[in-house]
Amino acid sequence: MQKHPSSETAGSILRPTTPPDIGQRTQRQRIIDAIVDSCAEKTYAATTITDIVARAHISRTTFYKQFDDKRACFDAAVGHCIDQLQEVAAAAHSDSDPPGDAVRKATEAVIEALAARPGVAQLLTGDAIAVDPMVVERYRRATIPALEAIWSREPGSAEGHTDPRLAFGQAQVLIFNQIATGKPERLPELLPEIVYLAVSPFGGHEEAIRQSRLARKAAPDGPGSA
Amino acid sequence: MTEGPEDLRRWRLPRGRHGLPRELVERSQRERLHAAVVRVTVENGYEATTVADILGEAGVGRESFYELFDDKLDCMLAAQKILVDDLEGRVRDAYLDEGPWPERMRKALGVTLDWFAADPEAARFTLIELSAVGPAFRSVFKDQFARFIELLEEGLDDDTPYPELAAATSLAVGATMARLYEEVMLDRTTELPRLLPDLTYDLLVPFVGEEAARAEQRRASASS
Repeated sequence: MQKHPSSETAGSILRPTTPPDIGQRTQRQRIIDAIVDSCAEKTYAATTITDIVARAHISRTTFYKQFDDKRACFDAAVGHCIDQLQEVAAAAHSDSDPPGDAVRKATEAVIEALAARPGVAQLLTGDAIAVDPMVVERYRRATIPALEAIWSREPGSAEGHTDPRLAFGQAQVLIFNQIATGKPERLPELLPEIVYLAVSPFGGHEEAIRQSRLARKAAPDGPGSA
Repeated sequence: MTEGPEDLRRWRLPRGRHGLPRELVERSQRERLHAAVVRVTVENGYEATTVADILGEAGVGRESFYELFDDKLDCMLAAQKILVDDLEGRVRDAYLDEGPWPERMRKALGVTLDWFAADPEAARFTLIELSAVGPAFRSVFKDQFARFIELLEEGLDDDTPYPELAAATSLAVGATMARLYEEVMLDRTTELPRLLPDLTYDLLVPFVGEEAARAEQRRASASS
């Protein structure tokens, strides 16, 4: 599959710098990258501090200077990933886009970013659920108002459509299922469905279908190919 | 399941020589261990649960345990399989019954919500505790997801509105799982059946659009 260039604003969590730069990244950032990669490989439950420090090329002492424990490190990683994805989403559309287009563009950018760094998808859809539901709640609270804000430019939307909280959970389940099948690089194949879920609660079914068609066109290796 | 975990827990074989065939003894032990692993992991969490905890709860000896299972995880996965087989069987009966497709969808959903509500411990086990077992959860998850998609597709007929979205069935399974997960997490498992009308709506919209889904939602409200 052709890799789509992701947004320039994507920082190191989504486009990790390669070993030559390793010394320049902050220790904290290296630790966060390390826990993301370790969770992707063996999940949060099986990740140990030893795994993290080995991947980050740091000492245990350095780890404990930055974080109290594995859970604190995980929370920081989740927070960081959410911030990064929000930046990616925000950079992908402009105020002049009609709401449906804006949501589709933001969704496409987020899914591309997740496909490029599947560890982040595993962290946010698989481990976050296993570790603590409040983690999920935190980024649901960050996402739904952002969508609402986009639609607020169009009065009268968000009436009688599908439930945005549920749509968020659905997207999470679909993304995790793709991770669980061991083919995270095929996440973009889910674009029509994820775009539908993102648009439907505020724009309604018809608009969601229209946007999902556009998303399908944008993803040449969509469902059914491969 | 013909016997819920509650019944299984009360089922003890008489001590000493009871003359029961070996096969029956093993079956009883297996079932008690399944019930015990559900109960103990829900109480302690996966990480903190030991084989000794499971043995204590089941009233089964260590040797018998290891004759039946490799380890704690093996026992959990076996219990999970029994629970999901039972759920799938019930959903299948409701869904592949006579009647128009939206109605069969609503009934299948109703059976699902009732099943989880009837046993909050099993609900917690199957949706939450199992997700903490590490990489093994991924394959359990994808297999179960695929299984329910398959069932959903099996019940589509010529009258089923053709959804424009290729993976509309996965939206339906995803919606059900997401809602179940959230309600169980918030300890509202016993109230799940109340969500039938709204969830029917959310499930049907991608297939039939908002107006037709609204009609089925009203029927769900009227029937509950």
